[in-house]
Amino acid sequence: MNAIEVEHLRREYKARMGVIRRTTKLVVAVDDISFDVKPGELFGMLGPNGAGKTTTVKMLTTLLLPTRGAARVLGFDVAKQADKIRGRIGFIFGGERGLYWRLSGTDNLRYFASLYHVEPEVSRKRIPELMEMVGLGDRAKEKVEGYSRGMMQRLHIARTLLHDPEVLFLDEPTIGLDPVGAREVRQTIRDLQAEKKTILLTTHYMFEADALCQRVAVINKGNIVALDTPQALKGHVADLSVVEVEVFGIPLEVVERVRSQSFVDTVSVEDMDQRQTLRIQTARGSEAVSDLIGLLSGLRVGKVVVREPTLEDAYVRLVGGEA
Amino acid sequence: MSIADLRNNGRVAWAAFVMTLRMNAPDPFTLFTIVVQPLIVALLAMWMLVERGASNAIFVVVGSGMTGLWSGLLFLGGNSINWERWTGTLELIVGQPTPVSVIVFGKNLAIVVQSLSGMVVCYALAALIFRQPLSVEEPLLFAVSLLLTVVAFVTFGLVIAPIFLLSPAVQSFQNALEFPIYMLCGFLFPIALLPGWSTPLSYILGPYWAARALHGTATGGASLDEVLISWGMMLGLSLIYLLLSGRLMDLMLKRARADATLRME
Repeated sequence: MNAIEVEHLRREYKARMGVIRRTTKLVVAVDDISFDVKPGELFGMLGPNGAGKTTTVKMLTTLLLPTRGAARVLGFDVAKQADKIRGRIGFIFGGERGLYWRLSGTDNLRYFASLYHVEPEVSRKRIPELMEMVGLGDRAKEKVEGYSRGMMQRLHIARTLLHDPEVLFLDEPTIGLDPVGAREVRQTIRDLQAEKKTILLTTHYMFEADALCQRVAVINKGNIVALDTPQALKGHVADLSVVEVEVFGIPLEVVERVRSQSFVDTVSVEDMDQRQTLRIQTARGSEAVSDLIGLLSGLRVGKVVVREPTLEDAYVRLVGGEA
Repeated sequence: MSIADLRNNGRVAWAAFVMTLRMNAPDPFTLFTIVVQPLIVALLAMWMLVERGASNAIFVVVGSGMTGLWSGLLFLGGNSINWERWTGTLELIVGQPTPVSVIVFGKNLAIVVQSLSGMVVCYALAALIFRQPLSVEEPLLFAVSLLLTVVAFVTFGLVIAPIFLLSPAVQSFQNALEFPIYMLCGFLFPIALLPGWSTPLSYILGPYWAARALHGTATGGASLDEVLISWGMMLGLSLIYLLLSGRLMDLMLKRARADATLRME
């Protein structure tokens, strides 16, 4: 039996607009997605903001009802058998929320241990161990309001491990962390995987999915656009080269003009203060440079680099340049 | 429900009780709701009482204290659900294995116990500032009535909580619920002063019977039979509230999961 089974899952929201003339718009957050996660697997969901990753996790953790389709966690239906799932899973949502700021880290864990029916003698031993494991042993008695964002994130990880869950849902656990904090969280995830926990990890960092996950589903606009091992996903751009052009103040219509060229596969723009990096994926490689420069005539152009594609480029191609 | 479930739920209710006491203790809004507001009510009522030369100050003390119990339950209990929604902890307490009603029970118990301090402060005001004679005529019956009052308020709060769970918009109607309950339950004056059609409404409210029992035992104005009827009604209504709240909570949670209102950004 798979730890997680998702079949044609769909979730719609009604977005209300206007004050006097109120109108309702239907928003499809997740549109017909299907996948399975094997026991002990570290499965990644990768996609840009608003792709539907968090909505999927919320349905799988029984916090949202699906509009259509079905999902089972440990064999139980997420809509109808939520009670049978909740004690056997753990989940965290990225960010600083979801903690009692006026209480200490230890008091937060003590409270959640009670909610998850952890025996008092077990929690007395486990809470200090978990606080040490996430590097908060020396700050355990301090109020959470004094914690940094990274410390709160690590406290969330400790919280979700209190009842030794079989399946973990980690929704963007490294978002907003400094590089050192993010590396520590990734190491904790590796350790959990070594303990054969089933983990569903969402992220919009390709390198994170590449470093941690055995399989990755790339999700965009509520749909899974690719599902494979990180190695196989890299094959999606094996035929392409990437041309990076540094420009200053590029108008949107010029970006669209570049995008419309037959030799251009995808275009993404990275803003850095006054300058932008135009990143073009093309099968023509360095031969495309002169045509590109021609399209940018009248603009101040800086460095031009032609390079081999990376995994991030594969992701950009899969999500259509929206990363 | 097995013995293990009962033990686990008891631990969760206790954890929620302790957590709520610790969270509320340093909060100025809590202090205002459960102490300052009943004190203002008591102050005004005592002035009116002294002006008219009346002597039932204990009625005012008990009634003012009860306004604190209700305001505490309505604002602190109701706000706590919306506060958990805004801070992102509501999802965590919904997504864990214990029924949410058990957590709300522990929270309500903490709020009602804390709110009793308002009654003590009102007593001190009447005794020390207004120098009114204050004696509880039936202390033993009063103590039992007070205990049952806590049960009646906590279970009444369990019926209110699912409504707050439904949507953050419900908070807008919170203020409108405060004074009607003061009046319908006869905290500060007898319901005989209200129109006759409102009496059945009072009878289905546990806090009304709590007020009858507390006023009656404090002033000595109720016979033992009347007190026993009030106790029976409190227990009976509390049982009905308990059964009703479990079902209501399930319905509202299902609705909140469908409408995605467990978390606000």
